[in-house]
Amino acid sequence: MVEEFRVVLLVFLSTVLVNNFILVKFLGICPFLGVSKQVETAFSMGLATTFVMTLTAAATWLINTYILVAFNLPFLRYVSFIIVIASLVQFVEMFIRKSSPVLYKALGIFLPLITTNCAILGLALLIPLNGYNFITSVVFGLGAGIGFTLAIVLMAGLREKLEFGDVPEVLKGVPITLILAGLMAMAFMGFSGLISI
Amino acid sequence: MLKKLFVDFKNGLWRENPIIVLVIGMCPTLAVTNTVENGLAMGIATSFVLLSSEIVISTFKNYIPNNVRIPSFILIIATFVTFTDYFLKAFFPDIAASLSLFIPLIVVNCLILGRQEAFASKNPTHRAIADALGMGLGFTWVLVLLSAVRELLGMGSIFGIEILGSWYQPMVIMVLPAGAFISLGILVGLMNYLKRRGN
Amino acid sequence: MDTKISKLILTLTVIGIISAIALSFVYQWTTPYIEQHQMEAREEALRDVIPKAQEYEEVEKEGQIFFEGYNSGGNRTGVAMIASGPGYQNIIELMVGVNLNSQKVYGIKILTHEETPGLGARITGDDYKENYIDKPFGDYNVVKREPQSELEVEAIAGATISSKSVAKIVENAIEQIQDVYGGGA
Repeated sequence: MVEEFRVVLLVFLSTVLVNNFILVKFLGICPFLGVSKQVETAFSMGLATTFVMTLTAAATWLINTYILVAFNLPFLRYVSFIIVIASLVQFVEMFIRKSSPVLYKALGIFLPLITTNCAILGLALLIPLNGYNFITSVVFGLGAGIGFTLAIVLMAGLREKLEFGDVPEVLKGVPITLILAGLMAMAFMGFSGLISI
Repeated sequence: MLKKLFVDFKNGLWRENPIIVLVIGMCPTLAVTNTVENGLAMGIATSFVLLSSEIVISTFKNYIPNNVRIPSFILIIATFVTFTDYFLKAFFPDIAASLSLFIPLIVVNCLILGRQEAFASKNPTHRAIADALGMGLGFTWVLVLLSAVRELLGMGSIFGIEILGSWYQPMVIMVLPAGAFISLGILVGLMNYLKRRGN
Repeated sequence: MDTKISKLILTLTVIGIISAIALSFVYQWTTPYIEQHQMEAREEALRDVIPKAQEYEEVEKEGQIFFEGYNSGGNRTGVAMIASGPGYQNIIELMVGVNLNSQKVYGIKILTHEETPGLGARITGDDYKENYIDKPFGDYNVVKREPQSELEVEAIAGATISSKSVAKIVENAIEQIQDVYGGGA
């Protein structure tokens, strides 16, 4: 029990810091570049993504274990995962719209974007590859979401400050954001070797 | 007629280049450009999926109801991606191993879905083919250029063949994630500069 | 409205069915090739880590898979296993082959890893792997200079953690093989 808890905790920390989805694994770059102009919107995007990631981890683990592996249908993995993710996002959107208009106002516009966020499909595909059990998978999804939120919020903070900086005209927008991301990736390299599973 | 097709084709190469102008499909652009071989293979795989799904979708577009347009497109794309994945695993196992996760992730490459939405679902098949070839080639040449720069500076080689000799101390950072971000940033900046001069 | 919804569902179902059928053909067509590659890769790894054997056999002992190599006379010349452990970035998986008679390692082969290209990734290079050829069993000491005793392993410059990780995995694997097979032949 204690040993299991330790493994789960390490998976969590390693996904948030050492193997950060955006800065180390290059998953979810599009929203990272597109929705990182303001801290507030970046945070909402991160929250919505974390929510969907945790649910996706649970749903795809169940489908993979009880349908794809049980009936030996590995060739339907990509097709079924993307359907699950798309329907899940749709469902979450409907649910939030009905139950909490305030939350819907904050997250609503980001939800459709999440379907084509490659971090979500990447997460779903990494779980069978890593051979995690159900609980570890859910924690992995949560950790990936928090790591995503951390990176996108930090980037938004930098870009807000950058508004006052004197950036050369040709580097404005995407180029300077990419270069900043490079510097952040270097900083995150400091976490490598921090945790051994 | 041919001239019009050529315009569709040329569009993706420069004026609406998916990576440096539209800035889409960034994940594979950054992740697999650590060697020229990977960059080229990824470009070809993506182009193949783009071409085949544009052909299918532009041919059958009138049978697909508008409301389920996007889910249908994603299904079709995912099918071609699965095909590509198994094909590479069976006949090019080394390439499949080094691209690993990024082959299935072609499914959610915004470039593919974006072109179906913006072009294939509105135009006849022959124009869709021209568009797919142009966009695919436009995507591929940027990947190859970026991976050539990164492999040369990061390992002193191109296509795994030593170019710079033993005097060169490789800048390992170039093949790491940080180098990917920085070199793509500089590349996009450089393209902005060239475009500005052109105007 | 009803007809409309049914048409939507019908469209998606038709696409789904066509895609599933097409993919099941692709799967059947490619699977033999993929399995052959996997077998070849394992054979190749086994040839690397138990060099003198003619034939290899997969055996399960105490819930763990081992590979035994036999020479042309039918005598067992070595035992190998696949072992894994944490590296610098992620899990490193490798194969270790040992000679139980002389209590020495034949060699190692790295199967999968995600170490830093150009630094930690050099654990797959011959310079590092040579460290383990004919290494006696025991606790290895990773050093940053030429090895002076038999139990020392020379680290890769700039990748001490990767080097230590591999040494640790090899140590553990040898212990496991010895536990199951005992000390002798």
